[in-house]
Amino acid sequence: MSHGHSNPIEHPEVQMASRGSYLTGFIIASLLMLAATILVSGQVLAPFPLLLTIMGCAGLAAIAQIYFLLHIDISEHNIWNTVALVMFIPLFVITIGLTWWMFSQLYLRTMPMIPGMPGMH
Amino acid sequence: MLVNVPGPWSPFLGRLALSEIPYTNPILAPLFVVIVLAGIALVAAITYYGKWGYLWKEWFTTVDHKKLGVMYIILGLVMLFRGFIDGLMMRTQQMLAVGPGDNGMKAMGAIHGYLTPFHFGQIYSAHGLIMILLAATPLLVGIMNIIVPLQIGARDMAYPYLNALGLWITAAAVFLIMISLFIGDFSHNGWFGYAPIFELAYSPGVGVDYWIWTLELVALGTTLGSINFLATVVKMRAPGMTWSRLPIFTWSAVSANIIALTSFPCLQVALALVGADRYLGTHFFTAGFGGNLMLYTNLFWLWGHPEVYFVILPAFGMISEIIPAFSEKPIFGYTAMVLATFAIAGVSWIVWLHHFFTMGMGPYVSTEFSIATMLVGIPTGVKVFNWAATMYKGRLTFSAAMLWAIGALFLLLIGGLTGMMLSIPAVNYMVHNSVFVVAHFHMMLLCIVYAVFGAVIFWFPKVFGFKLHEAWGKIMFWLFSAGTFLVFFPMFMLGFMGETRRLDWPFDPHWAVWFDVQEIGIVVYVLSVLAFLWMIYVSIRDRAHHRVGADAWGTSRSLEWLTDSPVPFYNYAMVPHINARDEAAWRREHGFSESRPDHFAAIHMPNNTGVAVYIGALTFVIGFGLTWRIWWLTVAALILTVLIMIYRSGKGDPGYVISAEEMEKLDRESRQNMSDGQQHLPKGGGYTGGTVTAYSAEASDQRPQGTPPGNSRPLS
Amino acid sequence: MSSSHDKPVDPNQVVLWSDDYEGHDVISTRTFGFWMYILSDGMLFATLFAAYGVLSYSHSYYTGPTPAQFVAPWYTFIQTMALFLSVLAYGFSMASLKTGSKAGVINGIIASMVLGIVFVGLDIHDVLRMLSIGVTPEVSGGLSAFYALTQVHAAHIFVGLIWMLVMLYQILRKGFTEDVVGRLISLRMFWQFQAVMWVFIYVFVYLWGYMS
Repeated sequence: MSHGHSNPIEHPEVQMASRGSYLTGFIIASLLMLAATILVSGQVLAPFPLLLTIMGCAGLAAIAQIYFLLHIDISEHNIWNTVALVMFIPLFVITIGLTWWMFSQLYLRTMPMIPGMPGMH
Repeated sequence: MLVNVPGPWSPFLGRLALSEIPYTNPILAPLFVVIVLAGIALVAAITYYGKWGYLWKEWFTTVDHKKLGVMYIILGLVMLFRGFIDGLMMRTQQMLAVGPGDNGMKAMGAIHGYLTPFHFGQIYSAHGLIMILLAATPLLVGIMNIIVPLQIGARDMAYPYLNALGLWITAAAVFLIMISLFIGDFSHNGWFGYAPIFELAYSPGVGVDYWIWTLELVALGTTLGSINFLATVVKMRAPGMTWSRLPIFTWSAVSANIIALTSFPCLQVALALVGADRYLGTHFFTAGFGGNLMLYTNLFWLWGHPEVYFVILPAFGMISEIIPAFSEKPIFGYTAMVLATFAIAGVSWIVWLHHFFTMGMGPYVSTEFSIATMLVGIPTGVKVFNWAATMYKGRLTFSAAMLWAIGALFLLLIGGLTGMMLSIPAVNYMVHNSVFVVAHFHMMLLCIVYAVFGAVIFWFPKVFGFKLHEAWGKIMFWLFSAGTFLVFFPMFMLGFMGETRRLDWPFDPHWAVWFDVQEIGIVVYVLSVLAFLWMIYVSIRDRAHHRVGADAWGTSRSLEWLTDSPVPFYNYAMVPHINARDEAAWRREHGFSESRPDHFAAIHMPNNTGVAVYIGALTFVIGFGLTWRIWWLTVAALILTVLIMIYRSGKGDPGYVISAEEMEKLDRESRQNMSDGQQHLPKGGGYTGGTVTAYSAEASDQRPQGTPPGNSRPLS
Repeated sequence: MSSSHDKPVDPNQVVLWSDDYEGHDVISTRTFGFWMYILSDGMLFATLFAAYGVLSYSHSYYTGPTPAQFVAPWYTFIQTMALFLSVLAYGFSMASLKTGSKAGVINGIIASMVLGIVFVGLDIHDVLRMLSIGVTPEVSGGLSAFYALTQVHAAHIFVGLIWMLVMLYQILRKGFTEDVVGRLISLRMFWQFQAVMWVFIYVFVYLWGYMS
């Protein structure tokens, strides 16, 4: 448990904070959420394209936050955090995606067809 | 919000009542008496020898990864024993209960055999849970805890206090499941639970609640530990320890802990949702009101499958260290082994549905999971071939540790091949929920147990400074293997003959002879346990005659064998500089094995702390309070836990510094202690390192000096 | 790099012990470990999302209310803005840390806390509203999943607020020590990650629930 730095404030992870970066992330995410809310409450699109659009808004907002707020990049100080995130993202996709596929197949085969029932597939 | 429990509930005691203590149970009541007496004897002995201070200062409050690892291993061995007793009881019940009609022991209240179904259900549930999560996992975590920092040249783990916390939270889980023996009952739903049987309506007792909170505590402890291991290996490697020089056991620890980190949250959620159904009346897994029964199975096995790879990858790592040491060759195909390890970890994430092929997702889904499951056989096969290639043309020593490692390979072969059979849905539909599956996974779990026994024998001299008794180790191996053969080979056959899992009354008389064979196997297992205990006793009694130097086996390869035996609390007086993979072998072959640092620097060590014990104890209280629905106790313990955490955070731990002069003294004492213990050995070569092996550059046709490594003779 | 018979080693040149090894970087070890914990927390949310995905079909709501009937998107949008502003405030606090300005850091944390309390307050108010109209988690599996996902996130925010309080105390008592700075960075990552989780909850639970 040795230590190196004399002044913790000078540590690179402190110094990489940036008002501009945080503000940019905030603005992008907020605008995307605003757009999604307007689209949904105004019901301007058909359901499926609307779903795709707000999914896109969510994805872009998350990416913006991950890059601008969480400093996930490939600089020397952040590389391990980035590696860890990159390792987890496929697992998030697998957990949700394979579960969704599994159950949609199950429902297809075992649920009686009721007219007017909205499906996810 | 809170559901009304079936049965009495009081604000002060929750569901606790005297009637919940099974004092009429013919097995549990005497057992309780025995345990109380043993406990009193233990406390009396410790008090008589005045060891409370020693225990508190040196063991309970330690943050030293080696001592924590030893305590994990002791915990795991105790639970292995309890799980074995559960298994013994199940075997005996099935043997006695075979055949039609009412053949039970009236005195025990049983209609068949000697156990009531009420009791039998708890035994198989506890057996599974204990063996996987409270025996195998602590054993593996304990060994990783001891060895990983040593193998990377670090003085401790990245978070020593968190390490201690993980141990005591696991101990709390152990306590919770042990206390379920005597207060209330345990779950009757098997170790992984079935929806909707675990719902309050169908399991009105506290058993499922015990099960939920035991699992949650273990999951918490293991997740904390996994963060620790990964941060340690990433951030605390010694200079020169590049990724390509990392010992292969450490690589397996990294991949296993990646699995743990990514998958245990799924378990926590699955169980928390069961808890929500039972405590808050939600409808996640109910049969109706929009609940989904299969969702539980899905969420559980999302964790469940990566979990089994979490337990087997460290076992593979142990085998990968033992075999090269006793073949006097480096591991064959290091890069392939590392890639295979990560391939196994990666593929383990996309196969979980093979635990419930029969649940009706249809051919497309089943096909994907089936093919992915078969894919895992490829990297596993790579590993098996590489182990064989390591042994090929090596100078083999069949020491006890080597026997365990090779035995593990045979079990892996059988378990793996039967696993490939099970990965085919058509076959799976036939044998699902039969004991064929049970036999398959016992082969895999026993592969882990074999690797653990081998690792314990292999690394015991490093941690304690003396070897375990070789001959008794081998006797134990052969007895254990005979028991394994007799118990589990018939089980494959019984599976094909149609025996399903968890039968308290196996009614088909055709099975009877195989149950008798299995019972003989259990007796042989009991003998092997006795051999184990005798081995420990004899080894400790005769320890002065089995002292070792730094390189205990003479042919050890990886970095940890540089340290003195036993390892001093600071591990390395000066952090080593790494020059090659298998650093200890490299130094031995280039003549540097006797080298010690000639000057020292001050080092910074963490303090001991009692906080981890207190928080561990409080998590037990939280679990107990939640199980029995004693809300005031739960909330109070939770608040107290948070306050202690905040207090500890504020206090921090400045640690203490050991000066350079003090380090020099400690290093000298450690070396003296080691060489004093070896007065009885021939001088030069032999056990103190410096053995010229057949593969060093200087020894083209030279005979090795000193006595052969290990005190075993080649099999004749 | 095997330990085999390679070129002979000069005993005078070989380095066996590390003289100038300064030890590991304490702050980055702490933050890396905490980031790994955060990712495992993300896995927890992913599992809850998987459960929600299964339990958000029309039959999951049995005969009870569906989100379309009780979600108020603009109300939740205000919650969103409160959270995002809270994250921004904390970010500014960390920017003040670069110069070691205690006042800047403390003010940023206090602002972040206030906005976080607004978020939690809005959430509690919303939950009380829903409970009063019979939208409770015991009604159906779909509602159980809805509540689980939204309230687990709110619980994380609550824990974060307590943590901020503790950090205020530690800054005042101990100043910017290595441990305190490490914790402040960890809290930043935690807080920002909750915002990322909220993006997905807002879009997939509230907005999409309102749509279907």
